[in-house]
Formats: sequence, structure tokens, C-alpha cells
Amino acid sequence: MLDLLTYDFMQRSLLAAALVGGLCSLIGVFVVLRGLAFVGAGTAHAAFAGVALAYLMGWPPLLLAILFGLVTVWISGWVEEKGTMKLDVSIGILYTTTMALAILFIGLMKTYNAEVYGYLFGNVLSVTPEELRTIAGLSVVVVGSILLFSKELYSIAFDQEMAEASGVPARRMFFLLLTLVALTVVVSLKTVGAILVFAMVLIPASTAYQLTHSLSTLTWYSLIIGIVCSVAGVLFSALWDIPSGPAIVLLSTLVFFISIVLSPKRSRRPLLAN
Amino acid sequence: MSSLVSASRQPIIRFDHASFGFPGVIALKDLTLTIDAGEFVGVIGPNGSGKTTLCKAVLGLMAPLEGHLHIFDCACEELRCHHRAKIGYLPQKGVVDRNFPVTVLETVMMGRYGAMGLFKRPGAADRKIAMEALAHVGMEGHTDTALGHLSGGQQQRVFIARALAQQPQVLLLDEPTTGLDITTQHNVLELIEHLHQELGLTVLLVTHDINMIRARVDRLILLKTRLYAAGPPTDVLRPDILRDVYGKDLVITDNDLIIVEDYHHH
Repeated sequence: MLDLLTYDFMQRSLLAAALVGGLCSLIGVFVVLRGLAFVGAGTAHAAFAGVALAYLMGWPPLLLAILFGLVTVWISGWVEEKGTMKLDVSIGILYTTTMALAILFIGLMKTYNAEVYGYLFGNVLSVTPEELRTIAGLSVVVVGSILLFSKELYSIAFDQEMAEASGVPARRMFFLLLTLVALTVVVSLKTVGAILVFAMVLIPASTAYQLTHSLSTLTWYSLIIGIVCSVAGVLFSALWDIPSGPAIVLLSTLVFFISIVLSPKRSRRPLLAN
Repeated sequence: MSSLVSASRQPIIRFDHASFGFPGVIALKDLTLTIDAGEFVGVIGPNGSGKTTLCKAVLGLMAPLEGHLHIFDCACEELRCHHRAKIGYLPQKGVVDRNFPVTVLETVMMGRYGAMGLFKRPGAADRKIAMEALAHVGMEGHTDTALGHLSGGQQQRVFIARALAQQPQVLLLDEPTTGLDITTQHNVLELIEHLHQELGLTVLLVTHDINMIRARVDRLILLKTRLYAAGPPTDVLRPDILRDVYGKDLVITDNDLIIVEDYHHH
């Protein structure tokens, strides 16, 4: 196994997995607490539609993925804010519409394009140095924003109206969170694919949720679980020659079920936050 | 019962012929009302009478469709974050997920976030303010306890502490005793009364429980999609007014309890 680590592609993959795992699990804390799981899943499919259009037209895939992702989350946020339609309905419509667009764009391509399918299923082992630089750059933007606005983001995740009433610019923070979700999804697309990316956002934070009652501890647990599962998933993928996306997600799911069994929240004795 | 502030009261919330709601659906119409600094005001009215709308308006979350609303001498539409931080708000039970993974101290620290402003990290001074707020509500021994593990009454105390951590001038409480047992209801109201007197806070308490608050407030505001009556409890809680607003045969018993007349026994 140590031999594997000497290869450039393996080092790049592990670094990409650690970055994406960390990023997804960090934003996942706010997604889980604010109840935006479905919004994120919809965004991943919208971003994939962007990628498909980009390959069809010969435009830059990352740019279109970001554009499609952002437009979808902003529409979702706007619909939730207006409260005129149930969020799961509006996202359900956006989700399927963007997926239909993706299939349409792929259908319009004259030839089979393996790279497009790479975005659908992901393959961290094929991450190029250029992609790694993009992942690192966008990670700095997302993590930097979370660090800068963490108190406001925690506050709106707890209760947006109460946050706004106490003087937090809640609406702006909500749209910032949606933007960060879209960027995270786009960054992770190449690594785990549009179908599985949201598992990486949801599972670490949901696992951490089982284990603590403290916001700060939950964030740290989620980050550690996200990074460890992603790195271990890539190693298993290389060792056993299995696809990397499912390896990461299935390992995370296993850890999630273990956390449910071990959860102090399910024991009868009262406990402190940690 | 009366606050320490009495001689030189300053108006801090002024509604001037203000109407609220959405175009076509007016929730509160033509409200003209002034709330002075240091007052303890109870807001009552049947379901759908506009109590929650009044709360949102006072919080600056809803601008008037017509008329004007001034909060701290600032037009509601121009209210900034630092103005909002001066109003400590306790939402209705059920609005907030009380099983959210958060400790008591983390909950109360959130009360500081709006007042601190963007780009600032909570420091020792903020922690001290949060601890003082917890001491005011008698919960200083529970800083690391999970919010979800507290009783309903203790959770209300923590949320009141969160509001106090904003170092507010006004405390706005939306049905703070709903869902609590009768002793706890009494204790929570005593705490609010104590904070009103001790900290000189202006208190706006929205409630369905007229009997619980009538002896504690300086003034009652009775809403029924408009301002139906306002004044000392004795002036507002008249049988004719209550019957008009609540549409039931409400009676006031010898010991001043307001109850629905029981047809079966009369």
C-alpha cells in the first residue's frame, strides 16, 4: 500500500479527496442544520446540466456548472423566502427539469463523451494537477467565507427569523450559504460525481449530529469524519480497484450507521454537550 | 408591578395610523399606539387578531403598508441591525427546534452576534455578558448542558437569557408561557417581572393568558385586527369589551378570574 503513495496521481487524488471531503463536511453542518438537504441534491444535478451544455457547445464546463448551480440555489432560496410554494415541490421540479436538460444536452452530442460521464459518476483517481488547483482555490473561497461568517451562519441555521430579529443580516447570510453550497457541489463534481456528491455533504454532518449536542464539537466531528472517510475511501478504491465515489460514500454510510448505534442521544442517561 | 421609570417616559415605539399585512390581506389596520420606555405592556386578543403581526412589526421585520412606524426614533424601513439588537425577542414555543445540537452557553452567545456586527469574533467580554444573562435567569450552572435536555421552563429561561445577551432596551415575548405547567408559567412571569424592574426593561408580552398577566402589566393592548382597546387592565377587561372581542359569554368571577360562562350550570 505504501508503494501506492509514491505515485503522483495517488498523492493528487488523496489531496483532492481530503479537500473535497473537508469542504463538503464543513458546509454540510449548515446544510443539515438549516434543512437544505434537498436543495443541495437539486443543485448537483443542475450543475451537471451545466457541464453537459458546456461540452455540447465547447464552453468551459466549470464556469457553466457554477452558473447553473448558482441560478438553481438562488431560485430555491427565493421560493423558500416567498413561501408561495412548498420547497420540496419547487426543488423537485427544478431537480428533474435540470436533469432532463442534462439528458437532452447529452443526447444532442454527436459522439459519446466519456468526460461528461466522469462528472456524473466522478473519479478522484483521475484528478489532474489543474483540477486540483481549481479545487484548492475554490476551497479557500468557501472555507474562508465560512470562517469569516461562521457566527452568522450558525445563527441562521438555528433560527433565521430569530437571527434577523437580533440584528444578524439573516437574509444576506442565507443567500451566502446557498452560494457556498453551490460552489462546494461544483468543486466536488469531478471527484465524486453529481449523483453522489450530496452524500458527502449530508453524511458526515448527520453522523456528527448523532454524537454531540454542541455546535462547535459537531463541526469538528463532521470535518474529521468527512476527511477520514474520503481519504480512506480513495485508498480502498485504489487497493481493491473499485470506483472511488461509491467507496467514499459507502464507507461514510457505514460510519453513519455505527454512530447511530453508539449515539449517546439514544441512551437514557442525561449528558453534557461533549 | 410598575416599573422604576415613571416620571420622564420616552416614547420608543410609535405606530401612526399604521396598517400591516399583504396587499389584499390586512392583518392589522390603522394602528395608532405609543409604547414608552420602561412600560410593561400586555398584548392580548383572540387567534388571528394581529398579535404576531404586531410582534413582527415591532421587530422591524414588517414595514407598514400604510401609515408610519417609528422604533427608537427611526422609521421602520430604515431600521438597521444595531437597532434590531436593542429588541430582545423570545419567539413562540415550537418556532425554534429545541433539539438543535447546541449548548446553553452557545445559545445565549448567539444573542451577542447581531449586536457585535460582522467580521468580529466573540471575545471574553461577550462571554461575560452571556454569563451575566444566564445568571439573571438563574441558569448559570447549566452552561454546557444540551438545550434539548432542559425542561420547557428552563428552555424558556435560556431563550430569555439569549434575548438579554443582546443588552436590549425592549423585551418582546411571544406567548412565553404556552405549553408550560402552571407553576412554571408563574415562575417565568415572575422572572419577566423581575427583569422589568431590575433592568428597567420595556416589556411587551403577547399572551392568551389574560388571568396570568392582568395583575402584572401596566397596560393592556387588546387587538382584533385593529386596536380594540388599550389602557390599564381594569379599563380593558370589561365584560362588554371582552364579549365583543371574544364572541363568547366571558364572565369575570368575584376573584377577578375571566372564564367562559358554563351554559350547563346556568
